[in-house]
Amino acid sequence: MIVASGYTGKILRVNLTDEKFKIEPLPKEWIQPYIGGDGFGAKLLFTELPAGINPLSEKNKLIIGTGPITGTMWPMSGRTVLISKAPLTGIWGESHVGGFLGAELKYAGYDMLVIEGKSEKPVYIDIHDSDLALRDAKSKWGLTTDTVTTAIKKDKHDPDVQVAAIGPAGEKQVRFASVMVNLARAAGRTGMGAVLGSKNVKAVAVRGHGAVEVHDLDGFMEFAKAAHMRVRTNPIAKGMSRAGTWGLVAVKQEIGEFPTHNHQTGVFDGWEKLSADYIRPRFTIGDRACFGCSLGCKKVNYVKDGPFAGTLEEGPEYEGLMAFGSLIGIDDYATTLKGNQICNRYGMDIISAGSTIAFAIESFVKGAIGEEDTGGLKLEWGNRELVIKLLEMIGKREGFGAILAEGSKRAAEKLGKGTEKFAIHVKGLEVSGQDGRTHRSIALGHATGARGADHLRSLVVVDQLGYEDVAAKRWGADKLPEIIDPYTEKYKANAVFESENAYCIRDTLIVCWYTVSWPPIFWMEDFAKILPLATGENHFSKVGNLVEIAERQVTLKRLFNAREGITKKDDALPDRFVKDPMPDGPGKGQIVDLEPMLHDYYALRGWDLETGLPTEETLKRLSLEWTKSYS
Amino acid sequence: MSDIINHEVVHLPSQLIVDFNKCTGCRICELACSAKHEGKFQPSLARLKIVRYDDLGLDIPNVCGPCETAPCVDICPVFAMRRDPITKMTYLDEDKCILCKSCVGSCVNGVILLDSVKMRIIKCDHCGGDPECARVCPTGAITYGPDSSSATIDRHGKIMSYLKEIERTDNVSSTGAE
Repeated sequence: MIVASGYTGKILRVNLTDEKFKIEPLPKEWIQPYIGGDGFGAKLLFTELPAGINPLSEKNKLIIGTGPITGTMWPMSGRTVLISKAPLTGIWGESHVGGFLGAELKYAGYDMLVIEGKSEKPVYIDIHDSDLALRDAKSKWGLTTDTVTTAIKKDKHDPDVQVAAIGPAGEKQVRFASVMVNLARAAGRTGMGAVLGSKNVKAVAVRGHGAVEVHDLDGFMEFAKAAHMRVRTNPIAKGMSRAGTWGLVAVKQEIGEFPTHNHQTGVFDGWEKLSADYIRPRFTIGDRACFGCSLGCKKVNYVKDGPFAGTLEEGPEYEGLMAFGSLIGIDDYATTLKGNQICNRYGMDIISAGSTIAFAIESFVKGAIGEEDTGGLKLEWGNRELVIKLLEMIGKREGFGAILAEGSKRAAEKLGKGTEKFAIHVKGLEVSGQDGRTHRSIALGHATGARGADHLRSLVVVDQLGYEDVAAKRWGADKLPEIIDPYTEKYKANAVFESENAYCIRDTLIVCWYTVSWPPIFWMEDFAKILPLATGENHFSKVGNLVEIAERQVTLKRLFNAREGITKKDDALPDRFVKDPMPDGPGKGQIVDLEPMLHDYYALRGWDLETGLPTEETLKRLSLEWTKSYS
Repeated sequence: MSDIINHEVVHLPSQLIVDFNKCTGCRICELACSAKHEGKFQPSLARLKIVRYDDLGLDIPNVCGPCETAPCVDICPVFAMRRDPITKMTYLDEDKCILCKSCVGSCVNGVILLDSVKMRIIKCDHCGGDPECARVCPTGAITYGPDSSSATIDRHGKIMSYLKEIERTDNVSSTGAE
């Protein structure tokens, strides 16, 4: 059944309505044009999902995908992607997650799991090699993600079962509900947990005893071991081993891009108490890693005293420090850890949760809404207990929490009263911890990202953190210094275009964001070397071919969104970034001029400059003409 | 330097030594082990095992040895499992093995396996003196060298003191790995 090395050659489908499993061969003709992971997911979702369906209806499908590198010795090969039409945005939805699930799915013998239909009663999907079952989850409904994970491991008498679970937020279809893997790894963004919740699926449990075989084991191992050494000897990677992404706080404060008070400004007075040097010696008790990772950016933390004493949890990452820290004006690490724990247990995306709370606080503080809207709650910046309370209310969809559970865009529509201007989102997805005003390339990335305001698909770190040598190598010395100047629009489309392409390949392999996007260790030439060693497909050995595959994938996701009504007008930023100049900090007075960057970007992508949709010529060049028969 | 041969060198028997405080649970050792011995990536056939306790944030590498006593040797009914008196390493004579699985059940570290596809006992052989797992470990949680102090019997006490140190034995009861 194996179509090429690196793949298991099987797609597992489970239809919850009929309670039936089906194993299909992986189409060989998908490999060359799409590689795996995101690519397969885009192809499958585009062909099988009719336009305009409700993401929370039984017509939606959820894909758990892997790539040819998943489960191998290449650094950070345990990543998995969850793909579906997103409940938060109503467009293309994907969320990548670390941990051990992806590798285990491949060891069980499947490249992808496709979940279809809707179960009548709560179930969990149990995959144990070729033993496939839907098991009753009535007793598990309502449990938090950590208890349900433990319960399933106990049921199965096997600690090595990998569980992807939703918590109460997913069951209640909170629009930004996450799917949790290994208790603290989240497929967070765009609301994949709500999709599982709508299908009455509490969890997916996977255990595999099989193997992943590569084309040239000796060559693969040699290159992979050298790659691990490159990670271990990289000074920035070493810093990440020590403090994960916390190190970013100090850096971003320095460049004025640490989103504060609902993205009003980019500098936060209390940043020091959220910085790596402050947190690590006071709270961190252990270092952990995901599958096959030399870096180990996950930190186990413990709060010894204060109102949240006794909290033991992994994380949060930089985005959590931002979402429950600076964004809400809180200079206390323990609060961000507690908030992170609640989000993990209830199964919610921290960026959207924090951002939606920040939206509510600003609406209240600026007088747009009052206690009559919040059910008597007095909202204010910097209130620790309030944040924790609101998070629990959102997770349970209680009172005012039920409105916030819809995400900031829908909440603003419900509340009205001019609160729209405080909802900082693109296409419905809350803006992550960056600011286009002091980092122009991310302005373009946020505006054009397939799933909305996204920092994972095209975030150019090279300009933000000033890697001049890397920029010169990747994009040519002639584009310096503009291409790494965060305050100019010039060449930013090139940087975003090239980065997005490389990240696309990263997401088809699938490997981790870190060491590809930041720190910049691996790039296209490394993928072009490892992919043929893994798969035996020489087509992948040319960077040019990989670029074409990436372009195809980006354009296919664009076509998916176009079918849902997305055009150029949706590639816009919140007014805050394009109308209000940065009020203070090193980037004071900076503002985004999006139009010229959009223009350059569309031109590079081969999309129409007026509509933002792929041109005929582009469809032909990328062999995507078949998409026309699925409109 | 290379010309000087020191005839006084005493070769102490080497063992796989585990420091779970350093283990991040990445399982690169399992991948490298299966790649070396099976020619593919198959952690279920690795000769060592990382047990991950996500709720405690602890990862514990389980390797072959060092054992004070060797239950796998004691229990073997046909004397297929034997122990080198100097290195203390146990090894399996596959020709004698009757696949009774007694060693699998008796291994205190749970690292002797029955491969039910090829019908054979899978057991660590320290890669003949240059263990792949120690070579690839990114944090030095698994090392290979002479150390007689790190006996199995000490490990439980170490874990307990570690847990006490971070005050989390009181309210954590279930690990999901019983």
